Amino acid sequence: MKKEETVKLISAEGFEFVIDKKAAMVSQTIRNMLTSPGSFAETQHGEVTFPEISTTILEKICQYFYWSLQFASGKETEFHIEPELTLELMMAANYLHT
Amino acid sequence: MGGACSRKRDHQVIEDSVRSRFSARFSKSGSSRWLGTSFSPRSGVYIQGGRGKCPSLMELCIHKICEQGIGNYHSFSVLPRDISQQIFNELVDRQCLTDASLEAFRDCALQDIYLGGYPGTTDGWMGVICSQGSSLLSVDISGSDITDSGLVLLKDCPNLQNLIFDYCGRISDRGLENIQGLSNLTSLSFKKSSKITGQGMIAFANLVNLVNLDLERCGGIHGGLIHLKGLTKLESLNLRCCNCITDADMKSLSGLANLKELQMSSNKVTDAGVGYLEGLHKLSLLNMEGCPVTAACLDTLSGLVELSHLNLNRCELSDVGCEKFAGLVKLKILNLGFNNITDACIVHLKGLTNLESLNLDSCKIRDEGLANLAGLLNLKSLELSDTEVGNSGLRHFSSLVNLETINLSFTLVTDGGMRNLSRLTSLKSLNLDTRQITDSGLEALTGLSGLTHLDLFGARITDLGTNYFRYFKNLRSLELCGGGITDAGVKNIKGLVSLTLLNLSQNCHLTDKSLESISGLTALVSLNVSNSRVTDAGLVHLRPLKNLRSLSLESCKVTAGELRKLQLTALPNLMFVRPE
Repeated sequence: MKKEETVKLISAEGFEFVIDKKAAMVSQTIRNMLTSPGSFAETQHGEVTFPEISTTILEKICQYFYWSLQFASGKETEFHIEPELTLELMMAANYLHT
Repeated sequence: MGGACSRKRDHQVIEDSVRSRFSARFSKSGSSRWLGTSFSPRSGVYIQGGRGKCPSLMELCIHKICEQGIGNYHSFSVLPRDISQQIFNELVDRQCLTDASLEAFRDCALQDIYLGGYPGTTDGWMGVICSQGSSLLSVDISGSDITDSGLVLLKDCPNLQNLIFDYCGRISDRGLENIQGLSNLTSLSFKKSSKITGQGMIAFANLVNLVNLDLERCGGIHGGLIHLKGLTKLESLNLRCCNCITDADMKSLSGLANLKELQMSSNKVTDAGVGYLEGLHKLSLLNMEGCPVTAACLDTLSGLVELSHLNLNRCELSDVGCEKFAGLVKLKILNLGFNNITDACIVHLKGLTNLESLNLDSCKIRDEGLANLAGLLNLKSLELSDTEVGNSGLRHFSSLVNLETINLSFTLVTDGGMRNLSRLTSLKSLNLDTRQITDSGLEALTGLSGLTHLDLFGARITDLGTNYFRYFKNLRSLELCGGGITDAGVKNIKGLVSLTLLNLSQNCHLTDKSLESISGLTALVSLNVSNSRVTDAGLVHLRPLKNLRSLSLESCKVTAGELRKLQLTALPNLMFVRPE
């Protein structure tokens, strides 16, 4: 993976997820950060920190990004969500517009 | 449907299309409470639907919650309001909201509670509903069993703007007392609340911000309009089918100078009552259908310069006094159906060049009268059913190039007149339900490729004529019940893939082969092949018609049991089935 094609998402605990930029852009919020001209530091460094999203949730969200890309390419599987994560996941999804 | 003879469709009053103000997602319609919703596509169809848009993570989570039941979640009040609102709406849509799950929404600061027609809504639910307190803006509990005591808690929600209590038959004047302090209300609806009386309407007197008030079918409100006198912000008042409003009541409306829409159909108002409207210069819509008014009411109406929609259907108009129509130059929609008027009245419509829709159903109109319509170049819809119009009248239509809808059922027109219609290339909807129309008439119309609705119910079309359907590829509805079609003719319908409604009843030669021919018309929502030789064995061909909601196979060799089986195993959307 070339560096400019990936982004680093950092959880509240400081855990880093390096994922394809294409996957991250499933989130409208991240897409805006990465594409708005110059205004966000995130655009330059390809790093986004989420001080309010825990590692568990951010991991799940990254999984969703890739699941969503698969879905779009025609592979319609079920996305599993653990009941105990649902509420927290919703709050993150709300923030990330995804 | 499926009657042996031709029939006439009841044209729903125009006003419905003008604007439906309240959420019409749910409507209680007698037998099937959920008809309203099931007819509109579910908001969150996903995965199972296949080939759908990728569901958002939010949608997935909400679906998850709905599937698991919300037993795990004691309260959603920790969530931001917009999320709990989404969960709530989804649960309602899926009919998953129960006494227990509702409890999780206590104090969630929800803004909208739309439970219109929702099964099981009772007084017990009002506690949670009203716990939303000052956040709550809109409540719809139409069709519920809510009683007066259920309304007591509404006082806790001072910011309510929109209340819909349609078809709540148990609410009476005592219940109304609880809304009299809700002065932020802008919309209020109590359709068909027969226990509400004129005295009870005093509860409305202080709702000074009210813009829309709907008391349709409230039969007991005679004498109550006096309490609306101070509601000068009122723009829309619906008193349709109350059947009790008199001229004396009308007096109370004379000061409501902001009124734009007044629905007064099926009441006891006469010309004198209409007289009280003379100062309402903003009035743009007036519906007096079925009231005993005559053309004398035009004295008042001609002074209302904004009037654009006027419904005088089924009134007591005659030609006398109709010259006053000439002054209503802003009229766009005019309904004069079922009045005792003749060509002598039509003369006065000549200058109403803004007219887009004109209904002359069952009036004594002849060909000469239609000459006066030739200059109404904006006309899009013309209803001439049951008039004495014949072929020579249709000649006057050549200038009406914007006509989209025309109804010539039960007129004197024959095949010879179709040539004149063939030039109206904007036509989308054409009703030729009359015995004189045959294959050759249809042939003359093949240039009307934009047609989406074609009614040939009683026309004598044979298999030969069905060859012309290939020119009408855009048809969404087709009625062909003249009795002259066989399986060979139905084959020619195969290509009309946009059809959502198809009526082939009364063609007694049709067999299971016909069902096979239409098995590819997967857009069909309504199908009628009654009075034919269709059998149980043919039902298999209907299995691909997944969108079917109404299926009528009366007087065929079809058993209710097999139909039921078909419904359960293949056609989940099917709601109306005959025979049952």
